[in-house]
Parts: sequence; C-alpha cells; structure tokens
Amino acid sequence: MTRATDLSLRFATELRGYGASLPDDFLAAANSLEPRLAPEDLDAWAQAGIDLAASSLRAWEAAAEYFRASPQVVDQLGAQGIRDWAGIAASLSQRSSLMAAAFLKSTPEVLRGIRPDEIDAWSQQGDRLCRGNWKSIALSSLYFQVSPALLRNMSLEAAGRVVDIVDSLTERSYELATTCMETAPSIFDALPLADREPFLRFARAVARASWADIRLYFERGPRLIEGIAPPERSRYLDLSARVTSEVGRQGFPLFADAAQAMGSMPIELHSALLTFADRLSVGSPTAAMEYLKSAPFVSSRLTPEQMERWAQAGSNILNVEHNPEGAEAYFRLESARAEEMLASLSARVELGNVDQLLRMYAQALAGQPVAVMSAESLVDRNIGWVTESSATTEGNSIYLPPYVATFEDQDANFQVYKVFTTHQTGRMEFGSFVYRFGPGGEHTPGTVVAREERIQTERAERVAIAGAEVRDAVAPVTSMQRYFNMFDERTLILGLFTIAEDTRIDARTGREYGGIRRWLQILQEHEAKHRPLIEMMGLRQAFMENLLRSSLGVPETMRWPQSLTEYLRRAIAALKVVELPDATVQDSAEVAAALYDIAIAIPNVSEAFADGKFEPLSEDMYSIAPGMPGEGEGQPNGMPGGEELEFENPPQPEFRGDFKPELVQLMSKLKAQKDGSDDGPTAPLTKEQLMELLQNSAEISLGEWSEGDLDASLGAFLENIEQEAAKPAGDQKQSDQADGGDTPDGGKGDGGESDLKPEIDWFYYDEWDFRASDYRPRWTRVGERFSEQGDGEFYQETLRKYHGLVMETRRQFELMRPESFKKIKRLEDGDELDLDLAIEFHVDKKAGVGPQARIYSRRNKVERDVAVAFLLDMSASTDEEIEKQRQPYDSNDKDDFDGDPRKYFQWLAARRAKNAIEPPKRIIDLEKESTVLIVEALEAIGDSYGIFGFSGYGRDNVEFHVIKNLDEQMSDSVRRRIDKIEPIRSTRMGPAIRHTIHKLDEHDAKVKILILVSDGRPQDHGYGRDRTEKEYAVHDTKQALLEAKRKGITPFLITVDKEGHDYLKQMCDDIGYEVVDDLETLPRRLPTLYRHLASE
Amino acid sequence: MALATEKAGFKQLAVEDFRITEEPYYLPISDEVELFETAYRERVPVLLKGPTGAGKTRFVEYMSWRLHNRDGRGHEEGVPLITVACHEDLTASDLVGRYLLEGDETRWIDGPIARAVKNGAICYLDEIVEARKDTTVLIHPLTDYRRLLPLEKRGELLEAADGFLLVMSYNPGYQSALKDLKHSTRQRFIAIEFDYPPRDQEAQIIAKESGVDPAIAAELAKLGEKVRNLKEHGLGEGVSTRLLVYAAKLIRDGISPRRACQVSVVWALTDDLEVQRSIEEVVSSIFE
Repeated sequence: MTRATDLSLRFATELRGYGASLPDDFLAAANSLEPRLAPEDLDAWAQAGIDLAASSLRAWEAAAEYFRASPQVVDQLGAQGIRDWAGIAASLSQRSSLMAAAFLKSTPEVLRGIRPDEIDAWSQQGDRLCRGNWKSIALSSLYFQVSPALLRNMSLEAAGRVVDIVDSLTERSYELATTCMETAPSIFDALPLADREPFLRFARAVARASWADIRLYFERGPRLIEGIAPPERSRYLDLSARVTSEVGRQGFPLFADAAQAMGSMPIELHSALLTFADRLSVGSPTAAMEYLKSAPFVSSRLTPEQMERWAQAGSNILNVEHNPEGAEAYFRLESARAEEMLASLSARVELGNVDQLLRMYAQALAGQPVAVMSAESLVDRNIGWVTESSATTEGNSIYLPPYVATFEDQDANFQVYKVFTTHQTGRMEFGSFVYRFGPGGEHTPGTVVAREERIQTERAERVAIAGAEVRDAVAPVTSMQRYFNMFDERTLILGLFTIAEDTRIDARTGREYGGIRRWLQILQEHEAKHRPLIEMMGLRQAFMENLLRSSLGVPETMRWPQSLTEYLRRAIAALKVVELPDATVQDSAEVAAALYDIAIAIPNVSEAFADGKFEPLSEDMYSIAPGMPGEGEGQPNGMPGGEELEFENPPQPEFRGDFKPELVQLMSKLKAQKDGSDDGPTAPLTKEQLMELLQNSAEISLGEWSEGDLDASLGAFLENIEQEAAKPAGDQKQSDQADGGDTPDGGKGDGGESDLKPEIDWFYYDEWDFRASDYRPRWTRVGERFSEQGDGEFYQETLRKYHGLVMETRRQFELMRPESFKKIKRLEDGDELDLDLAIEFHVDKKAGVGPQARIYSRRNKVERDVAVAFLLDMSASTDEEIEKQRQPYDSNDKDDFDGDPRKYFQWLAARRAKNAIEPPKRIIDLEKESTVLIVEALEAIGDSYGIFGFSGYGRDNVEFHVIKNLDEQMSDSVRRRIDKIEPIRSTRMGPAIRHTIHKLDEHDAKVKILILVSDGRPQDHGYGRDRTEKEYAVHDTKQALLEAKRKGITPFLITVDKEGHDYLKQMCDDIGYEVVDDLETLPRRLPTLYRHLASE
Repeated sequence: MALATEKAGFKQLAVEDFRITEEPYYLPISDEVELFETAYRERVPVLLKGPTGAGKTRFVEYMSWRLHNRDGRGHEEGVPLITVACHEDLTASDLVGRYLLEGDETRWIDGPIARAVKNGAICYLDEIVEARKDTTVLIHPLTDYRRLLPLEKRGELLEAADGFLLVMSYNPGYQSALKDLKHSTRQRFIAIEFDYPPRDQEAQIIAKESGVDPAIAAELAKLGEKVRNLKEHGLGEGVSTRLLVYAAKLIRDGISPRRACQVSVVWALTDDLEVQRSIEEVVSSIFE
C-alpha cells in the first residue's frame, strides 16, 4: 500500500462528506505527489487540504481545486511553498471559498508568468478587491480567473495597476468594474508590449476623472491608438492623461477625437505634432488636444511650413497673450483669427470666399443675371450633372468646384476660378446653347438638312431590309436633339461637338478678353501636362485626343500613326474653322458633323493593331490653315482592322468643364413653355417625347440607374428637370420670388402669398466669444422670412381699445414733424435781404445807435430722415401672463377670505369667469399692442420703420421674422402679420441684432435707431458653456450692440424683466436701456421713448 | 451788363455773354438732334433724361452752337447758353435775382434765369431734381404759352426774348421718393431719353475725345458695356462715357490701361470693395 492510498483511506470519511469526486481528486493528487514530497510533507499537504475543505460550507470546492492544482505547482513551489500556498488559500477561504477556489485553480497557469515568491503579492491584489459583499467577492474571484491571461502579458506590478483601476470603479459601479476586468486580458493581449504601461496610465486618469468612459476606452482605446506612430503612443497617452486630469469628463472625447485625427495624418509627422501639442499642454491641455484634432483639416489646406506658422500664431495667443480660452477657440477653428490666418496662408481658394465676386464678374460679362454656385448643389438636384468637381452651366447659373488648389499660390488659384467662370460665361455670352437646326454658320454652309434627309432614307431602307416594323419617329424636342439624332454614334458626336464648341469659345474668349489670354494659356498648358497617355487609347479615341490637344494649343504633344496623317490634318483644318473670328455655334455644329464623318471611319483599334506606332507629328502639322474637308474627301481608306476597343470620349479638360447642350436646350424649352414665351408651335411636349430625349441623350450616363427600373428613374429625373424649369432664372436674390408652382403665370393674387411656404433667406454672422476675445466665424445662421399672416382684426381691435391713446400719440408725433422750410431771420449772411431789417439798420446807423447788421434771412430746410427698426423678442417666455408676473397671489383678496372656503371659491369662480371673458394678457400681447400703437404714430410722422421679431433654437436656426421691412409700405399684409407675432422658442439676441444692423445699414437715413423689446436676458441652446451660464450670451449681445453703434446706429433696449437691471448694466454699458416696471405702461411708454430717441 | 474782363490767366465774363464758338464734338445716336431743333423752333421746353455722363450737357452745348449756325445767322457764335447746376440749397432768388446792399443803397441783381429770359438764351438747368421743390415751381410760367418770368420783389414781369428756351436735365437713375420731379413740372416738357451709346459708337466717341488708339477705345467701350451689366446688381449707375474718356486720356498719356481703368472707372464708380474687385477682374480680363 502506498502512502497515498494510506492517506486516502485515513481521510476517507472526511472526504466522503463533500461531493462525490473529492476522494478521487485527492487520491490522484496524492499519487502524483508521493514521489515528490517527503512523507511528513505529504501528510501536512493532505491535512491542509482536509482543513480547507472543512473550513466552510462550500469550501470543499476550493479543496478540490487545491488537490487538482497541487501536482502542477509542487515542482515550482517545493514543500514549504505548498504550505504557504495552502495557507493563503485558507485565509482567502475565510472570506469566500469562491475566491480561494479561483485562486487555487489559476495558480498553475499564473506561475508561468510570475515567480513563486510573488504568489503572496498576487493573492493580495485579488484580496484587495474583496470588501465582503458578494459583488466584491465575485469581482475578486474574477480577478483570479483572468489572472493567468492577464499576467501572461504584463508584470505583476502592472496587473496591480489594473486592479487599482478596477477597484476605483467599484465605488461607482460593480457592473462596470466587472466588465472591465473581464475584457482586460484580451485588451492587453492585443496591445503591443510597449503600449501597455502608458495605456494603463491613461486608464487610471480616465477612471479618476470620468469613470463612465472607461468601458469605452477599454473597447475603443487600443484601436484608436493603433493609428498613432508606435514610438509616439506613450507620449500621446501621457498627454491625454494630463489633459484628462485637468479637464475631467471632456478628457476622453478629446482623446478619442484627437487620436482619430492623428490616425489620418501621415505617420512621420506624429512626432512633430506631439512635440508641439506637449508644449501647448503646459498652458492649456485642451488647446493641445484641439490642435491635434484640427491638424488633418489644417494640413489639407497648408503645407507643413505654413502649418507651423499657423500653429505658432495660436501658440502666441496662449503664451504671449495668456489667453487660454482664445487659444482653444483658435485651435478648435472657432475663431475668426484662426480662419483668417488659415485663409491668408493657404493657397487654396474656397468658392465661398469668391462666389459673390465671381457672380458679379460673370454677370458683367454675360449681361444677364447669373448665379454662381457650388457644383455640389447642381449634382444634388439630380438633373443630369454628376461631377461635383468640374465647372459647368445649365444656361442660367454657373457651377464651380467648391475649391481650387491647382497651384501653390492663392492668386493663381483665383485666376483658375476666373478662367473657369469666363469659359462658362462664354457659353452664355457667345451662344453655345442657341443652336438652331438648319442654317450654316459664318464660315460653313448648312448641310444638316440634306444630311437628315439622307440619314432618314438610309434608316428607312435598313428597316425595310430587316423587315422590322416601322416605328413612328417621335418628334424631337430641341434643335440640339434633332441634330444629335442624325448620328448613330451619339457619344462620338457629343464628344466632337463639345471639342468644336469649346475650341470656339476659347478662341472667342481669347479674342474678346485679351487680359485673360495669359491664364487661359497657362491652364491649357497645365491641362496638356495632365492628359492621359495617347498610347493607351484606341485609334478613334486617340484621334479625338489629338484634336483636343490641337485645340489646347499644344500640337507638339500630338501622337498619331504616320500613315494616317492625312486624316488628322483634314480634321485639324476643320477644327480650326471654329477659331475664326465671328464663328458661331452653327459653325461648331457643321464642323462637328464633318469631323464625325472622318472619325466614324476610324476603327477604335489599339496601338498594336493600328497601322504604325503613335508618333509625334512633323512641324508642318502645327500650323494648319483652317478649311472644311471637300466633297468626297471625307472617307478615309486604308484603315487598319482588328478587334475594337470600347470607345469613350477622352476626358474633358478641367477648365472647360462639363458641357450638356442637349439638356440645357431642353430645360430652356420647358421653361419657355411654362412662361408661355415659347415662340414655336404651342403643342405641349409629350412625356413620350421627353423620355425619348432622355433615353437617347449621351449627356446622361445611364449607368447610375439600375436597368430594371429605368423608366421609373427617368420619370423621376424628368420630374426634377421640370421642377427646375419652373424656377425663375438667374440671380439668387430672385429666388425669394417663390416658384410659381400651381398659380398660372401673372396671376400673383393676394391669397397666393399665404398659400406658399415662407421662403427663407439665410444669413451668416459671427458670434463674439468673450473668453477667446475673438469672433467665432460664421457661427450663427439667421433665417429671414416673412411672418405668416393672421387676422387683421387684432389690429383694428387694438385701435378701438386704445382709441384715446392712439389719438394722443399721433398728435404728439405730429408735433415732431419738422416744418419743412422755416424762415430764419436776423442773420449776418443769408439768401435774402430782409428789407424791414435793412431799413431799421440804416436808421440805427444814421442815428448812431450800435448797428446790428443782421439783416438777412434764410429758409432753412429741415429734413427729418430717421429709420428705426423694432426688434421684438418672440421667445417662449413671452407667453407668460402678466398677472402672474406681477403678483403671484393677490394679497388683498386673500385676506378677505377670513379662512372661509366659501368666500375663496366665490372669488375663484369670479376670477375664472373674468378670465373666460377676457383671457389673461401675456407679455407678447403687450408687445403686439405696443407695435400697433407705434405703427400708427410712425405713419403720422413719416419715418421709415421696420418691425422684426426673432426667436429660434440653436446657433444655426435663428428665426428672423419680418413683419414689416424698412422700405415696405404699410399694408393690410403688415397688419395681418402683426397678429402673428407669437412666442416661439429661445432668445439668441446677438445674431438677431446683427441681422437688424445689416438691414439698417443697407437703408439710407441720417438717423438710425434700433429698439429691442425683450422680456429677459438672452439665452439659447449653446449660447454659453452650458445652460446655466449667462456670461457668454450677455457678452455677445453687448458686442452686437457695440457693432450697431460703430455703424452709426443708436441701439436702445427695453425690457420688462424686473431683474433686468443687473445684466442690463453689464450688457449696455453706455447704451440706453429701460426697464419697464409696470408692464401695462409699455404701450404708452414705447412711443414716448421713441420720440426721445429720434429727436436726439 | 457785359463785364468781360481779361486778366492774366483767366477770363471773366457775364453768363449771358458766354457762347460756344467752336463746334463741340457730338455723335448723334438717334434722332435727338432733329427733335431738339424742332422743339426749339416751336419753343417747346425740353427735358433731357438719362444717366450721368451720357452726354446730356454736351448735347445742349452742341445744339446751342448748331442752332445758331443753322438759323443762317451765319456766325461762329451760337445761341447763348446759360447753365445752372442745381443743388438742394438753390433758392428762388438764386435763380431769379436778389437785392444786394451797395453802400447805402440796395441794388437788384438779375439771377441766371432772368438773364437768359432777357437775352434770349437757352437756359439749361442741370440736374433739376436736386433743386428745392419751391424753386422749380417758379419756372412754370416760363414753360407754357405765357413765357413770362415774374419778378415778385420788383413787382415786374419779364417777357422772354425770342430765343429763350428752357432745357432741363434729369437723371432718373437715383430716383428716390424724395427726389422725384413734380408732375406739374414734368408735364411741361418734352422728354428726350439719353442712354450710353452702343459699343461701336461709344468707341468712336472715346477715340475722338481722347485721341487714343481706336483699338484701345474699342476695348474701353467693351469695358463700359460689361460694367453697365452690373447696374442694379451691385452698382447704382453704370460707368459713364465721360469716365471712359478719362481712362482713355490717361492711357494715351502713358498710364498702363489696367491702372488707368482702376482710377478712372473702378474707384470712381463705387466704394464697395467686393464690387470694386469684380470690376477690376473684368478690367483685367479685357486688358493685358
């Protein structure tokens, strides 16, 4: 009998008491240990196991783990080690057998990562998590469970830090702590060795400052830092940790955003970026992170050297001006300074900065209202244009790419825009879209009619031969379509017509506008350098490409087989015809048709099949005289054969942009039909006709639509086009004329206005960030619209109600009216001699009395030239009842009740009845009534005045309601609009004031006044750091008021907020304001105030 | 009251003695010459409408010279032309006349209208809307069959001499409610509309007036046409032929075309920076 069996027999009874497998586990372990332990040690081992099993109710589970693990650890631990180990387990077991079991079970694997003498420290780490409650026990056990995996990847010390972090989380949420513990091993498994420690350091910071983010960090952190250059990761994490410890909950989002931003930057820049960020972080950790966040955007616009200068300027705000908030706004790109700096350094030109300029430029050239818009907006409209990056026109507007960064110089890039614009304008100015089927041009005879006949006969013959049914030809809608219909290869003819017409426009532009010729040439050369390789093209496509190059003025880049030179020569000669002075679009069409005849005979075989290699041409090809191909000359022969490549037109040169004459003609046709100005046959276009056009047109790439629902897509597309045609042409400003929709032309009835949704014009304004001492550029968006029209009855009702007051104010105001030509007497110099005075003077002089030589008179012209804008607060708070504001409880009444409930109920009933007859008056009602009164008064005096209301929510939706514009005549619509003054949402005063300033500024008057009527302080979502902050809004409003003063406008504030004094004092400085205590005096007060202001 | 004196450097003469002695350059655009001649023959007052610098004043000068020569009175001298530039402080006495003190006496001085009436001159009231409304009323009796000018202060009536004709100019461009002509005034005149000449004719005028190379003149006329496209879309008023002539003169004397256009067209037209830049771009597109 071995000692093992002996032992198992000895403890059989004890062992049997706990679970069925315990004796077996014991025996197996004892057997395995027997050869490795001295007998007394084995006894001690066995005894320790038995003691463990007996230590608590479920401790046998721990004992089982003890028995199972022992053989695996004995070699490393030795006899003493085993004893200590069992001791630890026993003490753990006292707290929880679960913990002990997990500890024991994990030990063999853990020992692969740590030394035997570290077991104690390890157990203490787990023990630390245990606080006696079951959640903590589970967490502690979990730690022991994940320890093998965790310690495989990190030192015991590092694991201790994980425990620290998890431990700190337990104060908040055990669930979160548990999740983190569970995921920890896999996270650290995935992390490169060098990153683990810094990762933990940041984790600790996050756990402290914003514990809730820790799970996110564990989930996403590793992925986020992957994008950062490996040697820089630890620096980045430490920076993030510093930032987080300062900014708290903002830390993690900053970390995540900045990490993402860095990931999109070239890896070799990371070191420099971080060095700079580190430096910034001393003054402002947030600025450092914002800098990193903005880096990709800034670097997309600046070269590294420029970027350095840009960043340095921001750093100066921080370190020289000691304005951390300013620096943060700067690096967040929310400051005017940052944008200005960016714009001044960047070579890239944004359309948004030059569109107004280009619009006027284009309009001057074209002689018609032209809008300049981003090509993106045209693509969005889905009417056939698909490239956002190229310039184009649909006949009324010019569409340009959103930015140009072709050259490394701002001015050059602007010139690119200018060439784009000039070319597109040229299409309008020089009539690219006025092609009429039939007549020839200035230099070419008209051949299309004969061609059409020939083609139709040929097609009829072909159909007859094929025996197919003759389909009724659908009548073409436009001349352009009719022209294109003659050619079987529509892509080819469109390509040729485009080349011919663009060549003509370029030549014409160069001739008309000598000044732009230089830049046109530069762009042509630039384009020539970026043309695709001819050698890769099929023969026919190469033919087109050569024509293009010839038209770009770079004949030396042409490549063509020697043996086919004659065809190209003839084609180039034809193309040169459109460059002649006075060539028209008719010429282009004739030339394109002639080119088609040459091109169609050229097979699109690749170079290998083509007859001879593509070679440079001899110099005599550079200067071919213009001339159309003669009769019979057109058909080339001796063409190479072989398999043909699919033909497509070579890409359009960038500066010429997209050209879609067929669509443009269609749209103007539709428009003409809508306007009734179509001079052609009046039969409306059938849907069939339109579909036919769209289906065949080579200008629309059908690839975008799935084949199946082609009809449906075309239908939707057609709808878009028709809608487009219904819009009024040109100038953006005109867009507020609202599309006529269903009202027939001319019939702009009075009722029409209210049926239509209000058109909103958007304006952008800066906002003042007092912390940064800088404007946030284009921060707010103000939507101006006409107020809806309500009932005119309110106006009349108010007049009736305040009859006396109205008369009184009118009279007062009439007194203000200046006597227009008042005669001023007794002047030393003047227009007229006052004979009476002259005689008096003469007499005095003779009498020796001191003469008064004031004998002239003058008629003085006193002109009253006042413009006033009333800006009414339409925020939700104006909905409040005035009674409530004045006195929550009517104390007098209350006393009368004498504790008698009946009296109280009587009073209540009376009050309710009163309210039912006359609803309680709200602040807004008073605003409205005051408006009525002031309108009446102002009409008497004849000053120009505007009434506006504002409200909105958030910075990009400030609503600006026009009740009456400054130059608008008083009308019934205005009276109706006054009725619709009602509470809406928030009070973002700054932008509303700025927009009113803008309106006053455009108005011509000597005295300009802005009166703001409000019920409280400015506030809005995001109008300040958080909802409770008032400083920001007050400062911005103050700044806006100062802007008004700077523009020569006298601002005045009237508030009905009794607490108004505190912030008004700050907001208004030396700007006039008044707190109207008794609300109901507002209607009386407003006219009086106005008299005061306007006569100052 | 001829008090023509000639001192060193300048010439001083009474308004009614001023005559156009040399043929002013004027290129008729339409039938305006014929119309004016007929109107003069019938003594119908004429209102010249049109934007600034379109040639209204030049036209009057030309007509004053031409009428005289036409009438076969056969001299180099034309019908006297008395021009009054109206401004908002122009009073009735400025036009008609006033008493002045001289020593211990008062002396009556005729205003320009009174002089024109006496001398049978063409009285040209330039930019009449600028004048005060009470002033414009006093010309009414002169413009109908009466042809009388009352001198209230003297208790006299002046009957117009035979050659007298009232001509006014008026720029509807900056018409505002304040500065509109009273109907009672405007319905006493026939109106001849002036606009900037078409491109070719304008080029001819520019070349003639400035002596610049015809090619440059053509480019300037093109510029004029383009800039006028901006009227009411950024510009209150298009560029005048006069300004184009100024530009041409600068170019003739050696200023580079772009610079010349900048100072005489761009900056002269507007203070709006954006509009300035737009026009400058048009200039730089046309001139190298």
